[in-house]
This record gives sequence, structure tokens and C-alpha cells, in this order.
Amino acid sequence: MSIYLEISENVQCGKAKIVKELVQKAIDNGLPAAQILNEGLISGMNVIGEKFKNNEVYVPEVLIAARAMDTGVKILKPLLIEDGVQSTGKVCIGTVQGDMHDIGKNLVKMMMEGKGIEVIDLGTDVSPKTFVDTAIEHNCQVICCSALLTTTMEVMGDVVKEAERAGIRDKVKIMVGGAPVTEEFCKQIGADKYTSDAASAADAAVELCR
Amino acid sequence: MTNRERAMNILHYKDADRLPAVHFGYWVELLREWAEQGKIPQDLAWGYMDSTEQDKELDRIIGWDFNWCCTEYTNNAIYPKFEEKELEIMPDGSRRVLNNLGVIERIKPGIASIPSEDDYTLKDREVFETLYKPRMQYFPDRVDLEYFKSFNEKRDQTRPVGLHIGSVLGSIRDMTSVVGMSYLMYDEDEDLFADIIDNFAEMQYQCVKAALETGAKFDFAHYWEDICFKNGPLLSPEIFDELCAKHYKKRNDLCREYGIDIISLDCDGVTEKLLPTWFENGVNTMFPIEIGVWGDQFEAARNEFGRGMLGVGGMDKTALRRDKAAVDAEIERLKRLVAMGGFIPCPDHRLMPGTKFELVQYYAEEIKKIKL
Repeated sequence: MSIYLEISENVQCGKAKIVKELVQKAIDNGLPAAQILNEGLISGMNVIGEKFKNNEVYVPEVLIAARAMDTGVKILKPLLIEDGVQSTGKVCIGTVQGDMHDIGKNLVKMMMEGKGIEVIDLGTDVSPKTFVDTAIEHNCQVICCSALLTTTMEVMGDVVKEAERAGIRDKVKIMVGGAPVTEEFCKQIGADKYTSDAASAADAAVELCR
Repeated sequence: MTNRERAMNILHYKDADRLPAVHFGYWVELLREWAEQGKIPQDLAWGYMDSTEQDKELDRIIGWDFNWCCTEYTNNAIYPKFEEKELEIMPDGSRRVLNNLGVIERIKPGIASIPSEDDYTLKDREVFETLYKPRMQYFPDRVDLEYFKSFNEKRDQTRPVGLHIGSVLGSIRDMTSVVGMSYLMYDEDEDLFADIIDNFAEMQYQCVKAALETGAKFDFAHYWEDICFKNGPLLSPEIFDELCAKHYKKRNDLCREYGIDIISLDCDGVTEKLLPTWFENGVNTMFPIEIGVWGDQFEAARNEFGRGMLGVGGMDKTALRRDKAAVDAEIERLKRLVAMGGFIPCPDHRLMPGTKFELVQYYAEEIKKIKL
């Protein structure tokens, strides 16, 4: 079994300690950091993402896989920077103003990182202006908004309006998601993409970053 | 007929003169809105709790018959609780607080939302053995035996009253956060998560037993769980079944021994994948059957499990924020479920800010007119 496959399989099982050892071993063997990332860590998270979409695994399995992947990424990061490896894209993500709930948002973030996307996490209770200012400052291709409550989801429409006001609407895509959000609502507020689960959100973000 | 007779008859497929107009309480922010609009007196807008005199006064003003959430409690949480501590104030004004269950939450003034969970205490065997396990033990003071002994005489005879029989997993989730629960499930100490559940469940069982042994009679028993979200359960149904099924069975068998044949469970989100574990182990009533963005779940459950599966809830409360046409459409939809029997409509959770007072009055009046 190749070391990449071993890394991938251990990511899928959430074996953080083993992933850490294997990534270090791969580096010590002179394997390229980008390949360890893509064929080992990201490959493992991709499998978990697909299984999550199909209800073959659940939130705990995603969280432990993401934790395992993260231990490997931490070791690889300096090497990736040194080698000038580019991320798949750049996204800023947050839970909208008035809403402190972040479990869904964090899952999406993990899934996106599992696709090699650089994610700027703005946390919770994020104002439309903060979303847009961050997208401008960091050249994000995508703004990703999450909401748990029917009472706060309306703020997503304000993010779209703020992007229009700032003149970046044609440069940035806006994704929406969360418990009360639907495809219909996404269209109604003029956002670009709604996805119903975290793994699909990550797939969509990859497409939108292209 | 009293509302108790109406509700119990419907849930037992017997005749009733009409449907009771049942609700599941309010967000306090809504009551403040209504008070500001002059719809209810100011003194009813503060300190709301289910099934209190204040709640009953709101029932009278609005036209409800009763709040379904009327249960008697034992002290079946961790005890003593942790001392709540403010850990730091963040630059954005939010406070990081260690709550009384040992979870670090981030709370922001003026925001009515579930707080975000930053961290948690229960991370390993040592913490469990030293800080949590001693707090999960049964002791007689957990149950007010004198209160339960005289319960049958002093209880409200006109409405259903239940016994809250706890939570097998939801409370563990509350103690550990979603992230923490997930990590514990896959801890290197493979028995740890099961030990936590087993210890907590045994204490809760003893509480139920002590309350029932007093001779107190209840119309139903009730669990709270909230372990599902819009895409299904927060954990694998297989793991859930393996760890939790036996506890439901033991507690539910005990309730049946004492004559309680309606055992309801409150779990928001898409519950379909956990229903087999609940139903096969004695839970027979879904409540409040959240509609969310996925739609009704009761009809499918009835089709799968048959007439043994009962329901209270399933009314899309967001219709009460829209207009009369939306409420009428919702009542039309509910008629189908009522016609199946063993089902009482109720808003699918607490009424939230933006709910229109007049629409709630209208719904409460109209729901009573549905033909049984």
C-alpha cells in the first residue's frame, strides 16, 4: 500500500496520531508536500465528504477525520508555503449577524479545507459589511453565509446588497446555507448558490473558485 | 369533555367532541413584541415558563386550550451543577462563559440565539471519573417524594400532565457540546462514551422509578433529546442504537408497568433514522414534529410503524408569521393527519418573533373546528 493511500485511509478513520506519523514519514522520504496533501490528506477527506453526502457517515466521523487531516496539514504548511503551492481557492465564511450558532458553519469550513480551499473564518454574528470588506481585502472568490434561525436568515439578503453596494457583486459569488435556508430563498435574495449539506457546499465552492 | 379527556381519547383512538387547541409555548422575544404592540399586558411578557399561571392567562387571552409541555420534573441533571463563570470578555463584547454543565459558551448581549460552543470540560476518563461521575449518582433528594405522594389530589384534572423522564443522549450532548460528544465517541478509551451514557441513564432511571413508586399517576411520560438536524441524526443510527436502545427500553418498560402508555419524545430535525430505535423500545409519540424545510414527517412514520405511532405537533408555525391564507392552507393540510387518528396538531415549536397575534388567535379558533 502506498503511503498516500495509508494517509488517506487513516484520515478517513480519524486516526490523528497515525496521520501525523505518516505525514512526517512521507516528508522524511522526500515526497513532495503538494502530493502528500492532495493524494493523502485531501483524498481521505474527499471520501468522507462523499460518504457524508450519502448518509454513510455522520457528523462525528467528519469531525474526527477533519481533526486527523488538520494534524497533517499543520506539519505540511511550512513546506507548502516554501514550495509556493497555491490553494484551490479562497473563501470567507461566517454565521450571519444576530446568530451565534456555528456548528454547521464549522462543518462547511472543514469540508472546504478538505478540498484544499483557503478559508477565512469570520466566526459568528458577522455583519454584511464584515463579509464584504473581508472578501475585498483578501481577494476571496466566495462569501459563504450560514444561519440557524428563520429570524436571522434574512441577513443573507443584506450581504448580497452590501456586495452590490461595494461594487464587487460581479467578482464574488455568494453561497448560503443552514437549517432554514432553501434553494427558493437563495434565488429570492439573489445569492448564487445554496447547498443542503456541508460536503455539497465544499464541492460547490471548488466549482465557484474555478 | 375536559381537555384531558379530549387529548387522551384522541391519542387512544376513542371519540372526542372536538380537537383541543394545543401549543408549545413562546420565545420570550415574541411576548415582548406582543406587549409592545398592546396585544398582551406587559406583566405577561417577562419570565415566561411553560404551563404556569402566566401561560394559562396567555391561553385565555389567545384562545388556546393548553400548552402540551406540561410535565412534572425530578432533579435528573448532573448535581451539583458547576459554578457558572465568566472567563473573558471578547473585543466584540461577547462573553466566554463556563456554563453549569461544564461547556464554554460564547454569549453576546442582545442576541437571541443558541450560543456557540467554544470548548468543553468532559474530555477524558479522568475528568469523567472525578468531576462528572460523582454528579451523576442517584440519591433520594433528587426526587421530591412528598410532592409526588400528594400529586394525584392536587394536579390539574382538566388537562394532560406528564412525567419528564429525562434524556438518554441529548443531555450528554449538552454536557459535552456536539464536537466534544463526537470526539468522545471515538476516544482511545473505547468504553468511555458508553460509560458516560450508562451512568447518566441509570441515575435518570432511578429518578423515574422513585417518582412512580409514590403512586403518582401521569397521562404520559416525556423525553427531550434534540439530537437531529436538517439532514438527519447527529450520530450514526447504529451507534445510537447500540448505546442507547437498552436505556429507552428499561425506562419505558418501567413506565408501562405503572400504567403510562403514552411515551413522547421531543427531537427537532429530521428524526426518521432514529425512529426505529425509539419506537421499537417503547417511545410511541412524536412531539413536536418539526416541519423545517423538509416537511411533514408524521405521515411517513405512521405508514412505517402503524397506528401505534402517535403524534402531537406537526403544524408549521411559520404560517403564523405570514397571512390568513397560509394558516388556512396549513389547517387544510393538518386535516389529513387528524383524520388518520392518534394525532393532535400543535405548532412545531415555540412561537417565534414576528408571529402575528391575530393569526394565532385565528388558528386556535379554527383548529377546534376540524371534524374528528
